Amino acid sequence: MNALTIKNFSKEYRGGTKAVDELNLEVKEGDFFGLLGPNGAGKSTTIHSITGIVNPTGGSIEVFGKNVVSEYREARALVGLSPQEFNADIFATPVQILDWMGGYYGMSKKDRKERIEVLLDQFNLRDHKKKMFRMLSGGLKRRVLLARAMMNSPKLLILDEPTAGVDVELRRELWQHLQDLNKEGVTIILTSHYLEEVEKLCKTIAIISDGKVAKQGDKHDFFKEPGGLESAYLEITKK
Amino acid sequence: MNFIRLYTLIRRQMDSWLRSPINSIVSPWISAGLFIFIFGFVLGGRIDEIGGVSYLLFVFPGILAMNVLSGSFMQAANGLYFQRFMKTIEELLVSPLSYFELMLGFTVGGIIRALVIGSGILVIGLIFGAVTFANPLLFIYYTIVIAAIFSLVGIIIGLWANSFEQLGALNIFVITPLSFLGGMFNTLEMLPPLMQKIAVFNPFFYFIDGMRYAMTGFANSNLLIGNIVLLTLLFGLSGVVWYLFKIGWRIRE
Repeated sequence: MNALTIKNFSKEYRGGTKAVDELNLEVKEGDFFGLLGPNGAGKSTTIHSITGIVNPTGGSIEVFGKNVVSEYREARALVGLSPQEFNADIFATPVQILDWMGGYYGMSKKDRKERIEVLLDQFNLRDHKKKMFRMLSGGLKRRVLLARAMMNSPKLLILDEPTAGVDVELRRELWQHLQDLNKEGVTIILTSHYLEEVEKLCKTIAIISDGKVAKQGDKHDFFKEPGGLESAYLEITKK
Repeated sequence: MNFIRLYTLIRRQMDSWLRSPINSIVSPWISAGLFIFIFGFVLGGRIDEIGGVSYLLFVFPGILAMNVLSGSFMQAANGLYFQRFMKTIEELLVSPLSYFELMLGFTVGGIIRALVIGSGILVIGLIFGAVTFANPLLFIYYTIVIAAIFSLVGIIIGLWANSFEQLGALNIFVITPLSFLGGMFNTLEMLPPLMQKIAVFNPFFYFIDGMRYAMTGFANSNLLIGNIVLLTLLFGLSGVVWYLFKIGWRIRE
């Protein structure tokens, strides 16, 4: 079964800017999928449309067979998103942020409490759990957003630039953690400007340019070409 | 409807105003206390009874109604606007909250703040001897319906506003003038003839008059018409807000 099926998806913003144009994409269940592309290529718009932050203007998007518009509640219950921007309440503590998110997903108080304890340990947030979000460093804020994305134990985890502004140590920790999650069966979609990260983690890679998928394939297919992933990426994004 | 999701959204709304209690709660208490003291107590002592009730008793329901409606309006409008501004609304958008739960959560958040403000003003009113209840159940009904209507209006403004200026515009240009012209301090008959004809089209007139009837037993209008206006607004605005959340107006565009 596909974790994600996107057919002829388009998004045109008010004012006529076409961010994505007839995009088609399939992500298999259990995959670790890398979505690459330059700034403005349509990666974030695609992610926002999958998760409900933005309304698609054309085509269809399904998460594990659930349409993100007509079956939005079922679809969203299966997805976790760690966004590029820090969009948490700056006056709230990590515990509050996680608790609210769990509540929005309909988790009981007991389940939320247990899950928060697990996530505080997993993301080394225990010492910072009572600090306001605005008082945390960039790396710690990133961890909170990642923990928040994991709060509902999603089947599809979407990470939009998850290691931007994160130190090397946390990046390595995070990579290991993501690989473990993927082994447990969580499908992961990752966008990143670090090609090394995508090469290391992803099994399948798609490069988006001008709102369309310019190239998609197994990671090893990209390595077979002269210059590897970087060369393919530069060639496509140059056009 | 999922009650955990709904309750979380309400808790989240409450948390935002409980962080600044002076601004969100104490400030309307002080301003209402001053209104009651100056207009009701000091000046009211020199004004004749209206409809068989003292001016202090006459004016108090209007002051209470104005604070209830502005409290619920500010909660919903500011709460939603700031979540859009800070992008924390994305937490709601990615979650499985239904459009109905979103509408209800923001509305109840506004009602709770209005009830806290209203309860404090009732205590102040008791101190000045300004509180009577001709019909306590009707009083509760009017308080909740008025607060719900203005929470819904606040949601629309919170979705629409793209600046702090726009956020405050409705309060400055519509809510405050229509409250003052809606019989807060006077009966319909005290107005000039032309204003009397215009006043019956002011929905605030029915909000204040209904609240006054529930507290004092004195009504200046047909209560049936007043309730038709109230319930039409309540259900009409509920439908509009539900639809705006459904199409993602200004939040999923």
